[in-house]
Amino acid sequence: MQQLTAVIIPLLILLIISHGLIKHIAVYEEFVEGAREGFNIAVNIIPYLVAMLFAIAIFRASGAMDLILNALRPLANQIGFPAEVISMGIIRPLTGSGSVGVLADLISTYGEDSIIVKMAAVMFGSTETTLYVLAVYFGAIKIKRTEYALQAGLAADLAGFIAAISITYWYFS
Amino acid sequence: MLNKIWASLIILGISFAFAQDVHDEVYNTHNNGVPLQFNLLTSDTSPQQLILAANEYKLNATLKQKQKVQIHLDTKSPIKFHNIALANSQKNSLIADIVSQDSSSITLILPEIHWQKLRKVTQAAFDTAEFAVKLALGLIGIMALWLGLMQIIEKSGLINFLVKFVQPFLSWLFPNIPKNHPALASISMNMTANILGLGNAATPLGIKAMQQLQTLNHNKDTASDEMCMFLALNTSSVQLLPPVTLIALMGTQVSDLIVPIILATSCSTLVAITVAKIFAARRHNRA
Repeated sequence: MQQLTAVIIPLLILLIISHGLIKHIAVYEEFVEGAREGFNIAVNIIPYLVAMLFAIAIFRASGAMDLILNALRPLANQIGFPAEVISMGIIRPLTGSGSVGVLADLISTYGEDSIIVKMAAVMFGSTETTLYVLAVYFGAIKIKRTEYALQAGLAADLAGFIAAISITYWYFS
Repeated sequence: MLNKIWASLIILGISFAFAQDVHDEVYNTHNNGVPLQFNLLTSDTSPQQLILAANEYKLNATLKQKQKVQIHLDTKSPIKFHNIALANSQKNSLIADIVSQDSSSITLILPEIHWQKLRKVTQAAFDTAEFAVKLALGLIGIMALWLGLMQIIEKSGLINFLVKFVQPFLSWLFPNIPKNHPALASISMNMTANILGLGNAATPLGIKAMQQLQTLNHNKDTASDEMCMFLALNTSSVQLLPPVTLIALMGTQVSDLIVPIILATSCSTLVAITVAKIFAARRHNRA
C-alpha cells in the first residue's frame, strides 16, 4: 500500500497529460486556465478559516478544556473509562494540531503500548478535523448556511469516538 | 447549530478565562508582592554577576542600579518565572526589586502578574487570525496544480469515462446529481485520494467537487443535500491507510492499529451517511 501511494500521483499526472495530448488539447494553456482559480479559492476561504480558528483558539487558550475534563473525570472513572481519551474525543473535531498535541502528550505519559494511547490513535486515524473541513470546503464556494452538514459530521465524530474505544478494547484483549 | 457552537466556544472561552483571572486576583495565586528568598552565590572576579539558588533550581542574574536585579531565564528555569516575564512583555529576562541582601542570601520581590489568562486568550485570537491566512494562502499552489490538471481532464473527455465508471456507485449517495455530470468524477477522485491517505490531493479535488455541486445548487449561500452528504463523508475520513502524522508520532506501532482504524472509520462513515440521509429526508418532507 505504501508503495502504491508513491506511484499513483506521478502515473495519474502522466495519464492526464498524455491523454490530453492524444485528444489534441492545448494542455499548457488549459492547465494555466484551470490553475488561475486556485488563488481565488484560497482567498475565499480566508474569512471562514479566520472565524473558525479564532473561536477554537480562544476556547483552547482559556483552559476551559481542562475544566470540562476535570468535571468528567469522576464520572468516567466510575464506568471504568479512561478520562484522558475524552480529551482526544473533544479536541479531534476542533483542531488538527491540537489533537496531535494531545496524542503526543498521551504517548509521552503512557507509552505507545498502552491501551489509552492505542484508543486515542485509532480515534485520531478514524475521524477528521470536522470544523476545519467544513470551513475550507464551504468557504471555497461561499456557503454560509451549512444546514445539517455539521450535525452529520459531528455524529460521525461521535460514532468514530465510540467505535475507536470499543473496537480497540475488543481487538487488543 | 454552527452559530451556536461557534458562539459558545468564544463565550465559554472568554468567561472561563475571566473567572480564572478573578479567582487568581482574589486568592493571589501568583504570589504578587510576596518576597522570595534565595541563597546567594557570587564570584569575587565579577561581583555584578549573581547566582540565585533555591531548592530545586538556580537562576543567573545581574545586579543593576537602584536596588534592582535582572534575572536571566533559559529553558531550565521554572515556568513560573517565564510566565512573569511574558506578563511583562519580556522574553527571557525579568527585573526584580531587592528587599534585603547579605553575603549569603538575597530577598526579592518579583514583578506582578495580572489577568494572565485573558492576555493569553487575546494573544491566541490574534495569532490564529494570522495563522488562518497563512494556512489558506498555503493552499494556493497545490490548489492551482490540481485545478489545472482537472481542467485538462475536463477538456480531453477523460472525465466522462470516469463518470460512467463511478455512476452506479455514487448515484445512491447523491441521487440529485444528473446523469453524466462531472461532479461525480471529482467526488470519486476526492474519495480515492482520501482512501489512499493523499491529503494534499484530496482537499483541492474536494473543493473542485464542491464547486461543481454549487452549479447545481439553487440557493447559492445554502448548502444542498449533496454538499452536506459530501462534507459528511469527508469529515468522517474514509481511509485505508493511517494518516502520515500518525505514522510520524507512533512509528512502526501504527501497523498494529490499521485494522482497528479501518473498522472504526467504517463505523463513522456509515453513521455520517445515515445521518445525512435522515436529515435530507426530513428536509424533503418539510418542503
